[in-house]
Amino acid sequence: MSSHANDPRQPSAAKPYVAPPVSPQDLPIDYAGFIAVVFGIAGVMFKYKLCSWLALVFSAQSIANMRNIENDLKQVMMAIMVSLGARVRLREDHGFKS
Amino acid sequence: MNQTMGKVWCSLLFLFLFFTLSLSSSSSSSPHFEGFEAEYDDDDDVFQDIDPSSLQPINTKLTPNPSSDQQPNSPPSDLPNPTPNTFTDVWDEDEFEGLPIQQQQHHSSNPDHIPTHPKSPNNSSHSDPQPPNSSRSFTVEILCGSFLIIFAINYFTGKKENENIALSWAAQFAAKDSIFEKNFSLLGIGDGGDDSPLLLKEGQTTFKFYASGRRYCQGLLATLELKSRHDLIARIYNMIVPTRDEISFEVYMNDDAMDHVVFAMSKKKAAKAMHKDVRDLQRFATLLTPPNAKKWVSDDLAVVSESKEVAADLITDAVIDQVFGDRAYEKVGKGLISLHFSDQHSGIHKKVLLFKFVLPAASNMADMTRLVALVPYYIDLIGRYKLSSQARSKTETARQKAAQEAQRELRYAQQEAMQRKKAEKKKMLEEAEAKLSAEAIRKKEAKERARQMKKSMPRMKMTRGA
Repeated sequence: MSSHANDPRQPSAAKPYVAPPVSPQDLPIDYAGFIAVVFGIAGVMFKYKLCSWLALVFSAQSIANMRNIENDLKQVMMAIMVSLGARVRLREDHGFKS
Repeated sequence: MNQTMGKVWCSLLFLFLFFTLSLSSSSSSSPHFEGFEAEYDDDDDVFQDIDPSSLQPINTKLTPNPSSDQQPNSPPSDLPNPTPNTFTDVWDEDEFEGLPIQQQQHHSSNPDHIPTHPKSPNNSSHSDPQPPNSSRSFTVEILCGSFLIIFAINYFTGKKENENIALSWAAQFAAKDSIFEKNFSLLGIGDGGDDSPLLLKEGQTTFKFYASGRRYCQGLLATLELKSRHDLIARIYNMIVPTRDEISFEVYMNDDAMDHVVFAMSKKKAAKAMHKDVRDLQRFATLLTPPNAKKWVSDDLAVVSESKEVAADLITDAVIDQVFGDRAYEKVGKGLISLHFSDQHSGIHKKVLLFKFVLPAASNMADMTRLVALVPYYIDLIGRYKLSSQARSKTETARQKAAQEAQRELRYAQQEAMQRKKAEKKKMLEEAEAKLSAEAIRKKEAKERARQMKKSMPRMKMTRGA
């Protein structure tokens, strides 16, 4: 099926790969991180344990979907911090009150 | 770069997991039952009120059940001896004999024993809701904790799965004596060395393969978009909404190597959608009806093209026999998503050939060999292709028209921007004027007030003088 009688390769025309620049705005939205933050805040506000656990789960998802460590780290860290904060708040409220 | 990223990544995940586990384990060990803080406070008060000596009989009351298992010899009536073995194994009887203060601590840290406390009837009334409450609070933790663990395991296995698929693709089509090796002089994202990496990994689902150094084209970029196998939540979601592993080839043609060609082929529904959504197809091309006299592509496929001539020249007998004809399509057709060739592509590269295929499983990568072979075939076909002068004049007018339209649009946009700027300036000036006038009014008022003050001053003086 391939119809090359001679070699189609042209080493002189080879251009090395240049990665297209990616601006932070073009990255897909980190839905998981957003959901994690929402659940984390809900967990802190209403002191509802399931919320803070879900926040942890979604922040794990947001880590798992991180594409570019430099660009995404800020968002992901925020999600983690909020969800962990919710856990810690809960622990303090329930465990160490006395 | 990728490896370091992965390492950072792994360490992050480990840290995170460790954090979670430590949190969950400590939270399960520490007594934090919802709505029981008040009770603990009560207990502490109770213990403070109790005379230490009165605690000893309590202890013996508590011990019989567990001690009967562990120490069948010690009778429950052994009153003066507190038999603290029931609480901890390291308890030294002799050393702490008659030291009830220690036992208080044990009591407060062992909430299970509190309800049986005979001296605090309040507690025993509260003790009933405790077991369901505590078990419920643990179910959340157990469920979420185990989900996180499964999530972590799935992350590593899914990542491996995706990498295996990408690597088997590369081994099939980009290794020695493979299709791309025979067609391109530079393979991979490196600068052509022997051990330069073939694939570029972006995230856990996207792999890119680059090739360059071939006649008629500047380069080829293949993007493998795999399922989110590493992400458990996405995996569960994909059970409901199934997705496929896809690969898309973008071939950037040389500017002098591609004539006026706008052509697309896909399944009927998808072709209609493409005709509606993709701008150059919408502007230049029409949905073609299959010709009667000629051998044509399978009935499932639809062709969108600028002219019949282009379509007829691009769908050669060879591709009909190999891929798009009725018989061949049954075999390889399920791997085809779309073809889209255009010299009016939007973006940096104008002349682009786009191929989209479905990736087969890692073990039968060879199934898509015929589809991948389309890529170099069409590069050569379109690179050599020249339109007839008649069709060319038609396409040229269409392109001129489009260019004029684009220019007009650009000018219009520029004009609009200018006008907007002017309006803004005007608004700013007006605002400044308004501010100024407001200030002027204020000054006037101040002056007037001063004048009135002056007027009233002498009167005041007069009144004072009077």
